Amino acid sequence: MGHFSFTWDPSDPSDPGPLIDVEVMNSPDVLEAWSAIGLECPQPVKMKALIDTGASVTVISKAYAKHCKLLQTGESEVRALGAQHKCGEHAGTITFVGTDLCPAEAIRIRSCDIIREPYFACLIGRDILRNWKITFDGRNKRVTIVD
Amino acid sequence: MVPKGQFSAEQSVFEEHRNEWSRAHLGEFVVIQGDKIADGFFSTYADALRAGLKRFGVQNGFLVKQVWVAEPVYCIS
Repeated sequence: MGHFSFTWDPSDPSDPGPLIDVEVMNSPDVLEAWSAIGLECPQPVKMKALIDTGASVTVISKAYAKHCKLLQTGESEVRALGAQHKCGEHAGTITFVGTDLCPAEAIRIRSCDIIREPYFACLIGRDILRNWKITFDGRNKRVTIVD
Repeated sequence: MVPKGQFSAEQSVFEEHRNEWSRAHLGEFVVIQGDKIADGFFSTYADALRAGLKRFGVQNGFLVKQVWVAEPVYCIS
């Protein structure tokens, strides 16, 4: 069982929300398949991710999906900012840097151009959050995640 | 990376079977490349991905599609 606790101040008006460090990469099966045919495997890419209970699925910016060379396996639509947006569906793995939380391996990651925030490039959605127990202690400004 | 719209052939195959598959395999995953369909349905995306890599390889791409009666629109905040 993994455990991670960090400080988050909800009273700071400029704070975008609870952020954690993640690394995004292709899933192990895809990396293995690339290796088997002699293709170079891209390195994991580190980015900030927002823990977002309002996101039904996990999303990264399209630019990062391209940079990570995530294998695309489909397309779908997301509703955000009052409009529908077409997004890519990719196979990927997300690891939670500096924690002992279990990686989310071989999951569907959506890529979309809607993430233009300067603070983060990834939304950790409910497809990952449903495997966690998250506690927010507002008085002590602590977020605790147990998986 | 596969460019947007790359899966139109696979999507057509899926639409041909959507009604039939949604009766028996709702919520499961199917893998399609061109007009070829990988054997079986998969209860998880990870299993479908593995089956797609085994059947079609990594170079040409393939569609991993979850079977729904209608396409869901995923809410992002």
